[in-house]
Amino acid sequence: MPATDYQGSSVPFTSLGRSILSLRREQIHSMEGQSEASSQELELEAFQRKVSDCFHELSASVVSNGDDLLSVAWTRRLLDAFISCQEDFRAILFNNRGHILRPPMDRIVGEFFERSVKALDVCNAIRDGLELIRQWKKHLEIVLTALDSNQRALGEGHFRRAKKALTDLTIGMLDEKDSGSVLQHRNRSFGRNNVGRDPRQLGHFRSLSWSVSRNWSAARQLQSIANNLTPPRGNEIMATNGLAVAVFTMNSILLFVMWALVAAIPCQDRGLHVHFSVPRQFTWAVPILLLHDRIMDESKKRERRNSNGLLKEIHQIEKCARHLTELADSVHFPLTEEREAEVRQGVHDLAQVCDALKVGLNPLERQVRDVFHRILRSRTEGLDSLNRGQGPD
Amino acid sequence: MESPEEELAAAEKLIMRWDSTASEEARERMIFDGGDRDEAERYLRAVDEIQRSMESATVTDDAAAADADSAKVNGASAIQIAMARLEDEFRNILINQTNQIETDSLVDPNSSINSSSHHSRASSVEEFSVDQEFLKDKIEDQNSEDHPNREDISETSGSRTSSGSGSCSRSSAFRSMSSIREIELIPADAVHDLRSIAERMISAEYLRECVQVYGSVRKSAIDSSFRRLGVEKLSIGDIQRLNWEALETKIRRWIRAAKVCVRVLFASEKLLCEQIFEGLGKDSNGNNAEDVCFMETVKGPAIQLFNFAEAISISRRSPEKLFKILDLHDALLDLLPDVETVFESNLAETVRVQAAEIQTRLAEAVRGILSEFESAVQREPSKVPVPGGTVHPLTRYVMNYISLISDYKQTLVELIVSKPSMGMRYSNDPAAPEIEFPEIDNNLSPLAVHLIWIIVILQTNLDGKSKHYKDASLTHLFIMNNVHYIVQKIKGSPELREMIGDDYLRRLTGKFRHAATNYQRATWVRVLYCLRDEGLHVSGSFSSGVSKTALRERFKTFNSMFEDVHRTQASWLIPDPQLREELRISISEKVIPAYRSFLGRFRGHIESGRHPEMYIKYSVEDLEAAVLDFFEGYPASLHTRRRSQG
Repeated sequence: MPATDYQGSSVPFTSLGRSILSLRREQIHSMEGQSEASSQELELEAFQRKVSDCFHELSASVVSNGDDLLSVAWTRRLLDAFISCQEDFRAILFNNRGHILRPPMDRIVGEFFERSVKALDVCNAIRDGLELIRQWKKHLEIVLTALDSNQRALGEGHFRRAKKALTDLTIGMLDEKDSGSVLQHRNRSFGRNNVGRDPRQLGHFRSLSWSVSRNWSAARQLQSIANNLTPPRGNEIMATNGLAVAVFTMNSILLFVMWALVAAIPCQDRGLHVHFSVPRQFTWAVPILLLHDRIMDESKKRERRNSNGLLKEIHQIEKCARHLTELADSVHFPLTEEREAEVRQGVHDLAQVCDALKVGLNPLERQVRDVFHRILRSRTEGLDSLNRGQGPD
Repeated sequence: MESPEEELAAAEKLIMRWDSTASEEARERMIFDGGDRDEAERYLRAVDEIQRSMESATVTDDAAAADADSAKVNGASAIQIAMARLEDEFRNILINQTNQIETDSLVDPNSSINSSSHHSRASSVEEFSVDQEFLKDKIEDQNSEDHPNREDISETSGSRTSSGSGSCSRSSAFRSMSSIREIELIPADAVHDLRSIAERMISAEYLRECVQVYGSVRKSAIDSSFRRLGVEKLSIGDIQRLNWEALETKIRRWIRAAKVCVRVLFASEKLLCEQIFEGLGKDSNGNNAEDVCFMETVKGPAIQLFNFAEAISISRRSPEKLFKILDLHDALLDLLPDVETVFESNLAETVRVQAAEIQTRLAEAVRGILSEFESAVQREPSKVPVPGGTVHPLTRYVMNYISLISDYKQTLVELIVSKPSMGMRYSNDPAAPEIEFPEIDNNLSPLAVHLIWIIVILQTNLDGKSKHYKDASLTHLFIMNNVHYIVQKIKGSPELREMIGDDYLRRLTGKFRHAATNYQRATWVRVLYCLRDEGLHVSGSFSSGVSKTALRERFKTFNSMFEDVHRTQASWLIPDPQLREELRISISEKVIPAYRSFLGRFRGHIESGRHPEMYIKYSVEDLEAAVLDFFEGYPASLHTRRRSQG
């Protein structure tokens, strides 16, 4: 998401949206001699401020606490921000429904709805991804039950049960593309050659997790949302009373939030390389670009490169699972006190991740669904007024 | 009688013997494959024995505590081995004992009788016929392009039952599609084994493992049923890209598939979960094991199934979609009580909610499409007049559309709860003609008001189109034709007539009669004016009192006017034979007596002069015959007529 200099306008400004709006206002004032900003202009300025505040807050929490980025809790705040901006935007469209019927606004809004319907598929894919994480959580819970710290003594049986669950987890977390190679290395203590455990079937089982068509690709979906997304030109802003700026803003938020969800949550054919240019002159561009860079950096880290989601909790699962697997592979019985303490610590860490997921996954899923509904409602309303507005020729 | 210690040792020994990590033989063989029932029973008892011993190893003092711990560790180890074994056995039974639904029987109607295989599973035989019906419908899809909606109407009214080829199992399968009907997915004896194993796994706190194995196998079974039923994985984007024709076919298939999925597949999965898990325990969140297993299995498939309907519910609203969306809405509405039943547990709330949401959204879509249709009727822009003033394609389209609406009256009366926002919606364009809505009965349903409103809009649009005719007579004829068509369409459909009511129908009838009168005035007043007496009598002239010159002029004018009208209006068209006939009679009734009397009074004056044939070109019979050429839509001329008659 490179920052681009704003082309097509030579107006010097710190905040593109705001200054364009006030520029317009001055023009109108000089023409019509009005002295107060119209409520519409105030509304548009408030929207820019709102978006800017929301994302500054999100980036501030990441700056002050690096661990926060893409945690379940942070992702939920991101969706809260989206929903809040989306509702303001919806109100703007509603209050200006007369404007959106006229070119070029009808086209601009029409394109926005095209993009937003693409986001609906992302929401559905994310819902599948959350379901997948929930499956992993079930394996982890088996590990926790097996190595329950309330048990007075841990024996070989407990470890065998935990290892089995950890193996299932590892298989469950494999990315589709590298499942083949890792399966060869997998050491299954209880493997039996029946149909259900046939490695060839695993790809099939994983495909059952996705409710979208097999050729659907999150990466391509993001690209098509990003396609032709360019800041409005000066004449468009003038012709639309600044509404084009609000639409561009909402488009950018939509793209960023969907992109961040795909970055965080497993889904079919993830890919983060999306061309997205936001002029830095928008006040909200700065925090969004910062977050974008942080997420990109995270995706390039060696230990995350092959991850199937950058969600902080996924990383913790991976770390805990690896640590516990190593422990389970190296223990001898009876356990030394030192070992046992190590295991207890590992279990404790794992329990914390599980708790975070337990608390966060359901609300997150509901929020994703909420995002889905709100995008839908705004689109239905918008298309309705576009349809009705087409008066007789 | 063995001592408890000996029994425990024997139990452990048995479990170790079947440790698949320990020996090749243990790895290759299964206990619950039906080969050795006694061994299976022994194995279960051994597991019980070890669990009992672990429970009884309670702590009494420090020394005993150490013993108890070590007993527990040993026990845990044996239990772990036993559970791994039972998990594999459980999976093996699930995979191998699943009743296969043979695909052959989906195609050949006779083979369903043969396929009642090893178990007496009449119910699953009947499921074949469901699929048969499914295939049959797929074929019907291709044959019924003309009246796809009619076909579906007859289907909902239950006439499908009689369309079967007479086999008992088939017609009962039809009935089964209107209510939940579980089939046996796994034979009873295998269910018994599964339950025995699940019981051990759950009491050893291995519920999670059990749920996972169960879910993974059953999910894949549902997936293959989905594929047979044609339930596809389609993203919203995929569905938006498909053309509407393709989607119509998919909707039709989905409706049938959804009935099978909810009422047979999911319901049977639920029953199976209950048979295996009911009463065996709860998970850590307090959910019943059977509910947990059921949702583990069907949540994904249910979401996949409903995603399609959801995508349809949010597709762009255009008038042609109304009836298929109504079909989808009605099917879903009909399914909702069964969705409530099958997905009754707390865990399944999302599925219930989603299905209900989609139904609501489909209802919204129906309302949106209706209002979209109304504005489409109003702004239908074609300006080129239809030749001959016949019924405009728009009139046909709109009237066919609203008679289909009346076929869906039952649903639409429920869905359309507010009257159209007349005038207001269109007032943002000052150029738009003011549409006056007639005063109508306040007791009419909102749907009926919408229908009348659509007719009003249609007439407004037609009035606009009629202005594009250069000939005022044709303007009136066009209105007459179109309004007459509207009236005939309403009279032809009892539902439509009942909804719109005789009051408004009378008004429409008045309108086309008025147009007919206007036509006659516009065309014939001028012509008949030639046949008046005024202006022919020469005052003061004694000889006859008639000016011959004026009379000749009159005849010539009449002839040329009549020829002109005849030539033009023969090519005009009144498609309705009765209306055509009536109008001709009405023309004859005016023109023929006037001409006959004119001729009677003045024939002598012409015939006494030179070249009478130049002035009296037509006999009364000629004119009578000529009127028959009117409104046939073919060019005709009086000259050719006269020649052809010799």
